[in-house]
Amino acid sequence: MLQYVIAGLALGGLYAIAASGLVVTYLSSGILNFAFGSTAYFIARFFYFLNTQHGWGIAPAALVAVGLAGPALGVLFYFALFRFLTLSSTLIKVVATLGLSLMLPYLATLLFGNISILGKAPGLAPEPPKVFHVFGAPVTMNEIFVFIFVVLVVVVGAGVLRYTDVGLRVRAMVDSPAMTSLSGTNPTAVSVGVWAVSIFLAGLVGVLSAPIIGLDATDFTYLMAAAFAAVIAAQLRNLTVAVVVGLLMGIAGSVIPQYLPPNSPFTQAVIPSIPFVVMAVFLIYFLVRRGRLIETEGTGGALDRAIAVQGAESAVKDETGEVRLSSRPVGWVPSILGFAVVCALPFILSGLWIGLLATGVAYGVLFLGYTLVTGEGGMVWLCVPTFAAVGGLMTGQLAGLHGWPVLGAVVVGGLVAVPFGLILGALTIRLGNLYVALVTLTFGLLMENLVFSQERFLNQGLGVTVLMPGFATTPKAFTYLALAIFAVIAVFIVNLRRSTTGMALSAVRWSEPGAKTIGLSVLHMKVVTAGLAAFIAGIGGALLAISLGVALPNNYATLLGVAWLAVVVLCGIRSNIAALVAGLMTTLLPGVAENYLPAWFQQIPPILFGLGAIGIARSPDGVLADYARQLRTLAARGRARRHRGSPQGMAPAEAGLELSAADGLGPKVAR
Amino acid sequence: MTAVAEPAATPVLEAAGIRVRFGGLMALDDVNLRVEAASLTGLVGPNGAGKSTLFGVCSGLIKPNGGRVVLKGREVTEASPQVRARLGLARTFQQPELFMGLTVRQHLTLAYRASRARRRLLTDMFTAASLRRPGPEETERVDGLLEMLSLTDKAHRVVDVLPLGATRLVEVGRALAANPSLVLLDEPLSGLDATESTQLAHALLRVVDEEKISLLLVEHDVATVLRLCGHIYVLDFGTVIAEGDAGAIRRDPAVRTAYLGDDPYGDDGT
Repeated sequence: MLQYVIAGLALGGLYAIAASGLVVTYLSSGILNFAFGSTAYFIARFFYFLNTQHGWGIAPAALVAVGLAGPALGVLFYFALFRFLTLSSTLIKVVATLGLSLMLPYLATLLFGNISILGKAPGLAPEPPKVFHVFGAPVTMNEIFVFIFVVLVVVVGAGVLRYTDVGLRVRAMVDSPAMTSLSGTNPTAVSVGVWAVSIFLAGLVGVLSAPIIGLDATDFTYLMAAAFAAVIAAQLRNLTVAVVVGLLMGIAGSVIPQYLPPNSPFTQAVIPSIPFVVMAVFLIYFLVRRGRLIETEGTGGALDRAIAVQGAESAVKDETGEVRLSSRPVGWVPSILGFAVVCALPFILSGLWIGLLATGVAYGVLFLGYTLVTGEGGMVWLCVPTFAAVGGLMTGQLAGLHGWPVLGAVVVGGLVAVPFGLILGALTIRLGNLYVALVTLTFGLLMENLVFSQERFLNQGLGVTVLMPGFATTPKAFTYLALAIFAVIAVFIVNLRRSTTGMALSAVRWSEPGAKTIGLSVLHMKVVTAGLAAFIAGIGGALLAISLGVALPNNYATLLGVAWLAVVVLCGIRSNIAALVAGLMTTLLPGVAENYLPAWFQQIPPILFGLGAIGIARSPDGVLADYARQLRTLAARGRARRHRGSPQGMAPAEAGLELSAADGLGPKVAR
Repeated sequence: MTAVAEPAATPVLEAAGIRVRFGGLMALDDVNLRVEAASLTGLVGPNGAGKSTLFGVCSGLIKPNGGRVVLKGREVTEASPQVRARLGLARTFQQPELFMGLTVRQHLTLAYRASRARRRLLTDMFTAASLRRPGPEETERVDGLLEMLSLTDKAHRVVDVLPLGATRLVEVGRALAANPSLVLLDEPLSGLDATESTQLAHALLRVVDEEKISLLLVEHDVATVLRLCGHIYVLDFGTVIAEGDAGAIRRDPAVRTAYLGDDPYGDDGT
């Protein structure tokens, strides 16, 4: 037994250090850094670049990559991104850090070369690493480094936080950033220091992980997702609990398989699921014990609350200090014009491009799930790909294997996704938005590991073939079918937004106490939204399977959803046409890069998506809404100028007032 | 200018023996409070006396550690805020809890429909009801409230751009649109200028007299409360230290002590 415990401690140590880095930054800035895994990968890849590709010694390479580049990246990230996020809503924080997470691996490929690194990568120990035997368990020098750094992080971290002046300032920032800055502490200096330390820890996790889990960006993200379990157990704040749970998860991952049948698919599915089960257990425990779990409860003083963003997403102060709202994100005319342009595209495009267009429209339908659940419902769900997978894989099973009519299978696929949405909506009702993001991410990864990994769906990695419906067998005809489905769902969402239901959803999103005291049921509204969003994502997932010709679980990976959400928020989370544009960007931009641009440029679209998502920190309504707003402002100025010439004309001030009333813009913006 | 309550057999709200403990702090200790039908009742007390906590208990946002809350003869101690709202309890908040993306009119419309056309909350998304004109009763009620609260010219403004005083009026309008029997008003006059305060005070008295809605008013301005309310409760350190009409409250030495020598009654006090 002891040997399995020791074997598990190495992975547990990585979880522990990652969880420490995540907790420290959350404590000091209120931001859970979803880019932690990617940053770890980026620095590990930089270390590999110096050490293996350029022959640097281990010590100088580690010093430069982890000791210098890590903190420098932390400072850069702070000034380029995180400082804009402090007062942002959870959605904006999550999406901006997800955007960073999305772009870093591609940036690493661009900077350090596109080479495949198979198996384990070198770490801090000289190659081949020495192997010691501790209580009968083989322990490599790299694993011993993990143990050493866990102890160092815990001892030094706890010591600094508890006994030093710097630690006191950091802890004061945790309790009330506003009061701390009023008492003479520079919050920027504290934040810069904390981010530097956190990204240093990410780099440390990176170089320590490479010899244990290899050097693959996806594996690093899974490592971070697993560390989230320890972070949740610590309720985002308790460093000691985070470290202990991280270590215990590693041990559990090593010990539990000894009690399961070897080489069985069940065992293979259970092992990677352990952290997610741990997360679920802790969440249920907290919910039973306290009734609800809100990340912002118990922190901050009255002043912090006064300056915090009210309500849910899509409100942020711009340069003029105005709070901008997306009550009318894009507007009717640009939306209809945009849709008409997309409808004309099948006549212009052909060959490969019409196929990409069809898939893009299918993505557009799928993305309307985000528009509904996040844009209208205000819930930060990272498991929309899971609902899409349910719809897509069910369509594959029914139409591909059991001979159902394809469209019937699509509808049933969407309907099968509904109960998942309803249950998840009901379960997450008492959670704060950040916990909702974490829970939905976990749910997605669990479904991926336990359900979608079954052979009936994988079919030896080939998936299940799905044919287009008999009346739309060409990509052009299928594109129009998908566009028609998109239009029906978009009209439904527009109607919902304008209806009493939409007002009630908006009410729940902005103020739950206010909504409750006029008799609105927050549970009903959120569950209904969740069920509808699951249905739409399921339909979108099914259309995606048809357009690709195959229902394959890999096309619905939860981490792919990170990119999807980033693109949708980039275009506009509350706009239907933005969902369609986002869908087209998902297929057409990489298509352009692959076919017309040099090979290195293929890394650029994901980097642009990532940068766009980061830009959300400054422009929360998305780029389309921004363009539409600028056009409306120009049009209003034009009208005001025309009226100025007329004796009965409206005064410019009135024109500005009209615009501000319609758009939720203040007169300053509309001037 | 005082609304005097007729003694009624069944009070619209009765809170009996309410106790609320936050950790080691006893925020409310054996508090008893009655609001009669069609009355304007006041609740005053220094900062930290427990007024907002009592509002939280009455409206269902805070669960008490002891005691019972009875609304129109029905015990609602364990009932959710939504259930209480459906029974006719509405409230406003010290820090306005508005729906920042909605206009003033939408606030009132939503509250109206949530109480009188509940089904529309779910059916509207599947029908074209949002394209049709609202019914005459809804239009009349919403327009009437907007006019009464002097909000007609701001009806189509998104509430986020409104000043604090106007947002308080929107909260009052939203509460009144919800077809209430009782409205708990948490410092509705705070942030309003003198004219707005007078207008709102008149509106509140009209609501009580004409619509027979009961109001429980928490207000820092004790003089206003004494002027408006027929029955007043004074809360200090979580307990009721005095109750009665304005004259009784003015004479009560415990009330004077609670305010530490301040003259709580303003210039027109005794």
